[in-house]
Amino acid sequence: MVPRTDRSAVLIARRQLTPGTYAVRFQLEGPFSAPRPGQFVMLAIEGSDLPFWRRAYSIAGFGEGIDGPWLELMIKIVGPGTAHWRTAPMESRARILGPLGRGFPVEEATGPIAMVAGGIGLPPLLHAMAELASLGISCDLYLGAATADELIEPESCARAVAETGGRFFACTDDGSAGEEGLVTEVLGRHLDSGEAYEAIWACGPNPMLRALARLSAKRGVPAWLSMEERMACGVGVCLGCIAPAPGGEHVRVCTEGPVLPAAAIDWEAL
Amino acid sequence: MSAPDLRVAVGDLLLANPVLAASGTFGYGLELADLCAPEALGAVVTKGLSPAPRAGAPMPRIAETSSGMLNAIGLENIGVEAFCSDKLPELCRLGVVVVVNVFGESPRDYVHVIERCEAEDGIAAYELNVSCPNVSSGGMEFGHDPDLLRTLTSLCRRATEKPLWVKLSPNAPNLVETARAAVDGGADTLSLINTIRAMAIDPWRRRPELARTFGGLSGPAILPIALRMVHEVHRELPDVPLVGLGGIESGLDVVRFLLAGASAVQVGTATFRRPGAMVEILDELAEYCRQTGVHELSELTGALEV
Ligand SMILES: Cc1cc2nc3c(=O)[nH]c(=O)nc-3n(C[C@H](O)[C@H](O)[C@H](O)COP(=O)(O)OP(=O)(O)OC[C@H]3O[C@@H](n4cnc5c(N)ncnc54)[C@H](O)[C@@H]3O)c2cc1C
Ligand SMILES: Cc1cc2nc3c(=O)[nH]c(=O)nc-3n(C[C@H](O)[C@H](O)[C@H](O)COP(=O)(O)O)c2cc1C
Ligand code: FES
Repeated sequence: MVPRTDRSAVLIARRQLTPGTYAVRFQLEGPFSAPRPGQFVMLAIEGSDLPFWRRAYSIAGFGEGIDGPWLELMIKIVGPGTAHWRTAPMESRARILGPLGRGFPVEEATGPIAMVAGGIGLPPLLHAMAELASLGISCDLYLGAATADELIEPESCARAVAETGGRFFACTDDGSAGEEGLVTEVLGRHLDSGEAYEAIWACGPNPMLRALARLSAKRGVPAWLSMEERMACGVGVCLGCIAPAPGGEHVRVCTEGPVLPAAAIDWEAL
Repeated sequence: MSAPDLRVAVGDLLLANPVLAASGTFGYGLELADLCAPEALGAVVTKGLSPAPRAGAPMPRIAETSSGMLNAIGLENIGVEAFCSDKLPELCRLGVVVVVNVFGESPRDYVHVIERCEAEDGIAAYELNVSCPNVSSGGMEFGHDPDLLRTLTSLCRRATEKPLWVKLSPNAPNLVETARAAVDGGADTLSLINTIRAMAIDPWRRRPELARTFGGLSGPAILPIALRMVHEVHRELPDVPLVGLGGIESGLDVVRFLLAGASAVQVGTATFRRPGAMVEILDELAEYCRQTGVHELSELTGALEV
């Protein structure tokens, strides 16, 4: 486990990715452990009592600059907590607790990896791809969205994948960009036509993860899936974020996850 | 100026300071040690322990509300045996003051947990969570019926000579009567309040937010109710030491509970948003004492001017 801290941070950059999605960069005021790909943070608006809980965000990127460590997050606006960061002025303050949870098994990876992102599931995979590129491990990225304008930064995704020596497949439900169909169907077709992967790493909505868990079991390709649950604490003490595991057991998504081997979850009970 | 003395006595139990971690919000005391040193707190109250491990309630278990949250965790816990063998030794090594929160479905369950703990060193007190249905006879919550509560407390009293705290339910039909029953049964100290029964509804799905429909409300939303209850019980039972809780977020909130009649407090939900909250609260409390010339916190207990 990398040491976690609760630090003040300031907003130093924002750019729009799609009509409802933004990349935001925070400068941390003090040391912050280098996160493992797939780890997340719990973010509060400093100086405000709202929203009442912190919000969980996967880490999209991390670096150490001359002004200290920075974190990049990608935020899809869905309600008041996320909406704050669409309009917050530069230098707005946040409180960032992290890095939290368990990430993707980078040390054991040999490649090639099939990365599968559904919508706002992209950020942890971007972080993972950067790490794999530095280790010389290749991966293909399957990026899914409902329509072409909801695809998050296809050009920079293509570049990030190219750095690993892999290929980029955009998929849209309506076929307005890339291949038509669900991202899981497209991956299934590629497996049918002989594509071989060491593992699947994915993040996205539960129906997508469930489909991947089935695909993984059927094809014998191990899958590591990053999950989301309502979280009050993010650090394992409220017991609010559990997901069902085989045999009637369960796991805390914030602590045993958010990245879990597909077999660790009872997908039919979820 | 020297640092103010924050020591307090809760009945016979002397604590280094009056800020305790509330049950169910600080795990078994070790999970957040890197963010909030458990040995720096007055005490840590454990997650409620039952004789055997419990899996708890289905999802969703929590919901966010205005200035608070609902939970229906279903008393998930690792069981008293795993607590004693896997958690307690490390808590003792760190010098943490441990209060074991106890619950069960029958009086026998409560006594079982206490008896198992009595075989160990390093437990400072027991706190009975009586907001649980008595499955062994009819399902009435122990904390709702004065007779049931008196009997339960006296059975637990016989099992230990350590300080015995009873944590009152704010949902009891008559709070003062249940408080009296607990004291009659042999409780040394009363802690109050547990969460308030409540619900939240998703208007789009036309469903309750929680799988169990009802849950317990905690957080700043309940602080004024908790203060009123501490004040009422203190007025009726002025000699009984009280531990106040419900929505505390700051040092001034602690002072409010002390003035209402508490000797110490617990902090729960605040830890979720700010894992270091309790340490900050202690600093704020010390600052209040410096500013107002308070030498001992006992000067504040019950010092409300009405
Ligand atoms: C481990 C993890 C990683 C995440 N990573 C990202 C990310 O990188 N980018 C991103 O945009 N979003 C991410 N999310 C989802 C994000 O936390 C929610 O979109 C956010 O909490 C919504 O808050 P709100 O106030 O805007 O919305 P509201 O809908 O008003 O929120 C209402 C309540 O539901 C909870 N909630 C709503 N949606 C989710 C959700 N999908 N997951 C968990 N809780 C939810 C909120 O926390 C809040 O308590 C992640 C969630 C988790 C658990
Ligand atoms: C997630 C959660 C779990 C809890 N679990 C327990 C428990 O196991 N036993 C108990 O006596 N109280 C439990 N409580 C109640 C708290 O200890 C406390 O009485 C209540 O939350 C009010 O204080 P607060 O507003 O500071 O949180 C729990 C509260 C929460 C929010
Ligand atoms: S969010 Fe509290 S235990 Fe996972």
